Amino acid sequence: MECVVQGIIETQHVEALEILLQGLCGVHKERLRTHEICLKSSPNLGTVSSEVRILCDLEQPEPTWTVRHIGGAMRGAGAEQISVLVRTMVESKVSKNVLRLFYALGYKLDHELLRVGFSFHFQRGAQITVTVSSVNKMLKLHATDEAVPVTPGIQLVEVTAPASAESYSEVVSAVSSFCEYLAPLLHLSKPGISTGVVPTAAAAAASLMSDGGGTPL
Amino acid sequence: MPLKWVLHWQPNAGSTVNSQILSEVSQCVESINGVKEGRWRATLTFYKPHTREPTQASEFPRDFLGISLPEQPNKYYLIIRGQRIVLEADSSIQTLMEKLQSYKTRVALYFDGFQYQLGDFQLRVGKVVPTHSENLRGIVMEVEYLPISSMEKGRQVMEEFVDIWQEALSKRSLPGHFVHIEPNFADYGLADSYSSQHSAVQYATVMAQLIATVQAVQSMRS
Repeated sequence: MECVVQGIIETQHVEALEILLQGLCGVHKERLRTHEICLKSSPNLGTVSSEVRILCDLEQPEPTWTVRHIGGAMRGAGAEQISVLVRTMVESKVSKNVLRLFYALGYKLDHELLRVGFSFHFQRGAQITVTVSSVNKMLKLHATDEAVPVTPGIQLVEVTAPASAESYSEVVSAVSSFCEYLAPLLHLSKPGISTGVVPTAAAAAASLMSDGGGTPL
Repeated sequence: MPLKWVLHWQPNAGSTVNSQILSEVSQCVESINGVKEGRWRATLTFYKPHTREPTQASEFPRDFLGISLPEQPNKYYLIIRGQRIVLEADSSIQTLMEKLQSYKTRVALYFDGFQYQLGDFQLRVGKVVPTHSENLRGIVMEVEYLPISSMEKGRQVMEEFVDIWQEALSKRSLPGHFVHIEPNFADYGLADSYSSQHSAVQYATVMAQLIATVQAVQSMRS
């Protein structure tokens, strides 16, 4: 299981966001360059269609591979009231043959993306990861060197934290309160609920940039 | 990682495997001064494609296996033998496959028995049984040579050991013998330096042999 919120920020304010995150998290950012290959099952396979994401971390000296399945979101009145999405998520590190295996099992390429940016991993009531990245599409199959942004000038911010059925309410609480610190720069909400950029972002960014980072909160 | 050969028991034509043979094999290891250590267990699962119509299943691989090995408690190995594909994954891949619901477990087997130390060799003798029954389907034996991880460099010492072992076992006049079939690891993209992926491929190969033996017996009877 994981808790997730997302938001968007203009690329011109990413540097300010980075300064803010650096202050809040107290850890160094990690660069991110992930090739995300989304596969869908053939029409005859399974009674319902299934999807997997194959992630290739291109930032490592030797690319490393992960396979991830994102399942259904928690439903019900309780789920609607919380501002964070809680959903099932299973992932596994795998050896490099993963794409060949899933093709052989009857999965087909649906789409692929290249995410370029950075992330922060830290502990603050929960194990939280903040990822800031541009989402890029490839003009030719698997051509990660020739990727172009899907939304030029706009980057995606994702805050995720692993959770279990027993712990998710504490994790939701930790993620929500962390997101409040980012409110001047961006609004984070459940994926699929789009809120656009925040009107105070420019002013907040200018303040962060002139402060040179300020003191950690 | 030390190199290893996985052997399987090949019954003579007209005979089958039984627990008496297993007992004799274990006693033979001890008679050549193998020191009994502890138990070991590997698991092999056959997956079958889950399709809306049964006839559609033939579009998808029928030889898709999952293997767990005792020396890698946090890993799981997926193999499609016909296409020479092996994948090493975290154990969570089993949960991931369950969530996908595209493949279901058809049958699962244990390779289960005792481990012995014999000088620079580690031996494992194991019965092959379905997970929900004690019906003996086969016998396997692992021969691991601890000092060497290169399969080519270790080949001669392994052959010599297996010759000695076969000779010791032959004195018991059992209705069969152990066989070692080495898969073409290069076909699976595996190198000369031994790894758990090599073990997974050997178990998949042994399984194919056991199935072929059972099918041969069945066709003789019918």
